[in-house]
Amino acid sequence: MVVQQQHNDPAKAIAMPAVKKKRKKWQWYALLFILPSFILYTLFVIVPTLSSVYLSFTSWDGISTEVRYIGLSNFEEIIQSERVHNALRNTIIITVALVILENLAALVLAVLVDQVRWFRNMFRSIFYFPVLLSGIVMGFIWTIILNYNFGVFNQLLIMVGLESWMKDWLGDPNYALLSIILSTVWKSAGYYMIIYLAGLQSVPGDLTEAAGIDGANRWQQFRHITFPLLAGAMTVCMVLSMIAALKIFDQIAVMTDGGPGFATETLTYIIYKVGFGEMRQGFGTAMALVLFLLILIVTIIQVKFFRKREVQL
Amino acid sequence: MKRRSKTLASVLMAMTLMISACGGNEGNNGTASGETPNTAAPEAKEVNFTIGYATGDPAGKKAISESIKAFMEKNPNIKITDVSEGTTSSYLDWLKTMDAVGEFPDLVEMRDTEVFLEADKIVELPEEVRGLFNTLPEVNGKIYNAPMVLTSPQGIIYSKKAYEDAGVTELPKTYDEFLDIQEKLKTSGITPIVVGGKDIFHMGFWLNKFLIDQVYAGDPDWNSKRTAKEVSFTDENVVQAMKDYKELFTKYVDKGWLSTADNQTASILVSGKAAQLFSGPWMFTQIQEADPSFEFGFYALPDRNGNRNVLGLPSPAGWSLSKEASTDSDKVDAINEFIKFFFSKEQYSKFLEVSNGIPSTKEQVSYEATEQMQTVLDIMADSSIKKSLAINNWWGENQIPPQFRNWFYKLMQDLVLKDGDVAEYMKKADTEYDMQVKANNQ
Repeated sequence: MVVQQQHNDPAKAIAMPAVKKKRKKWQWYALLFILPSFILYTLFVIVPTLSSVYLSFTSWDGISTEVRYIGLSNFEEIIQSERVHNALRNTIIITVALVILENLAALVLAVLVDQVRWFRNMFRSIFYFPVLLSGIVMGFIWTIILNYNFGVFNQLLIMVGLESWMKDWLGDPNYALLSIILSTVWKSAGYYMIIYLAGLQSVPGDLTEAAGIDGANRWQQFRHITFPLLAGAMTVCMVLSMIAALKIFDQIAVMTDGGPGFATETLTYIIYKVGFGEMRQGFGTAMALVLFLLILIVTIIQVKFFRKREVQL
Repeated sequence: MKRRSKTLASVLMAMTLMISACGGNEGNNGTASGETPNTAAPEAKEVNFTIGYATGDPAGKKAISESIKAFMEKNPNIKITDVSEGTTSSYLDWLKTMDAVGEFPDLVEMRDTEVFLEADKIVELPEEVRGLFNTLPEVNGKIYNAPMVLTSPQGIIYSKKAYEDAGVTELPKTYDEFLDIQEKLKTSGITPIVVGGKDIFHMGFWLNKFLIDQVYAGDPDWNSKRTAKEVSFTDENVVQAMKDYKELFTKYVDKGWLSTADNQTASILVSGKAAQLFSGPWMFTQIQEADPSFEFGFYALPDRNGNRNVLGLPSPAGWSLSKEASTDSDKVDAINEFIKFFFSKEQYSKFLEVSNGIPSTKEQVSYEATEQMQTVLDIMADSSIKKSLAINNWWGENQIPPQFRNWFYKLMQDLVLKDGDVAEYMKKADTEYDMQVKANNQ
């Protein structure tokens, strides 16, 4: 006991030998517990991932038993291919547009829902409802709405006398990408709204109240108090929406099939098309690897950028 | 209005379409009668095999599954497990998946014969059943498929009322006359042509029409020459083909063609929004179901010189035996029995009737054919009409890189949308073709 009292941190001095012994024992059992998960994770995630890296250096067609190593040819083709460049350009346009529009729409909806006094839950449910739809279902719905000949949207334009505004919304390259972006915003904004709403409800009321007493109007309260305190939620939403946008697939597959022409092809879409439809699994895997690295780099940059401006309470 | 075009009960000759460039099958030892021997002997050995086929056409699927059911009733010792499913949009993807999980069907409807042959998944068609067919296409000098039907010709499916309203009294004898009709239809206030361009395969209907007229009718080996770089997409005939396509699509095709799916074209036609559709006989049933009172006709579209060239050569597709199944002699025997049963007069006629198919068997098969279907059969029997294949259906040396077809069709959509220069776009086609040939050779 005397020795223990002489230690700088009495609590540590007393506890350490026992803790050390306990921890060692815990680690041993922990290994046994995590082993099944580890084996499954290795078999179904690590091994396929590493296989993908290998396959990206081959010309495998996805069926043949012969897998030929072709070095960096797939990556050289990615660099030279106009189709890949076009898909990358579309991916960037979609990603930038979706990150901005989804977050803007979600923030506006969250602020409105947060302030509404009646039917708050009903509004939350209504705005969240599209999130529950799968991308495929949502794609079919919008395909029907935007169809040139039978679509509700064009029929409405005819009804209000704006026939000249009728467009082939999914068949005109000038509007196809825009249609996909707007329909995706419609589907996803509710999800990010919930995250922003959680952020808004954690903003202490006394801060805005104090600002109000000091003479700040509603906009100033939002701009200088609420918005900075939402930075954490914004980081999460921005990163999630960016990753989802970079991986966009369902809507394109259903609504445009990458067309008209090559107008709405994105990286994920041509990975699928080339890898499965065109039987160039090696090339498709190489593109998937490039996309993975792209997402990783952009995410790291984005997280670092947004973390800087987060305010901790 | 007549409720339905008069149905003609026609005895369909099992047409002796001995078409050049296809390997015939002279020597065989099989039973060509189509009569299926009853193998349901009490001591018969129990045999199981799996079957897989494309289920895109619901009527065709029903006909095949009924054939399977009837076969099992007749042969209780043989159990066929139908592993086909209709949820996958791409039959090729589905087959690849089945292969990946080790469930490649023992008897499979093969559409990409060379692909699966290279992957060592299928074997030669047993000698025993070869005698059932008139012509059997070969791959590398060998036969792998029992063709379910012959390649159907495509042509103009037109609304008789729209033609009448536009003052069209005679079908066109040349392509220029066809263009005159388009002008008349346009003037009468109807959209001349509906195209289901949202489905990329539908693009091939028109594109191959122009390619056949300008390229393949004159040179069936054009693809192999292109692979060897002896000809080019920038050659005058190919450029002219794509100029014709561009002109037609710019002037006479429904504005919503790129968001119209293939299965919506029948509705647009019968609703009177468009006057014509370029497609094949499989659309007849859809059109009749969409509006039984709709009166329509069918004709093969002539080229500028008045020649008529259509799809119609056999291509290596049909029932194929998997390599795994071929190692089990009992399975092979059972599969042979099923193939003979499927192509027997009674069963095969049912399949042909619902799918508006053209028989591939030696034996005469009869079924009720509509007026339009009779026209199709007349076209197939008319030796003055040249038969050809689509760009991606040639085989052997003439096989194109499998990924090129869709890319080319998309490029051609882009050509119309961006009002591009045909020659420039054809240069892109050359570059891509060479790149894909190189990639496939790696």
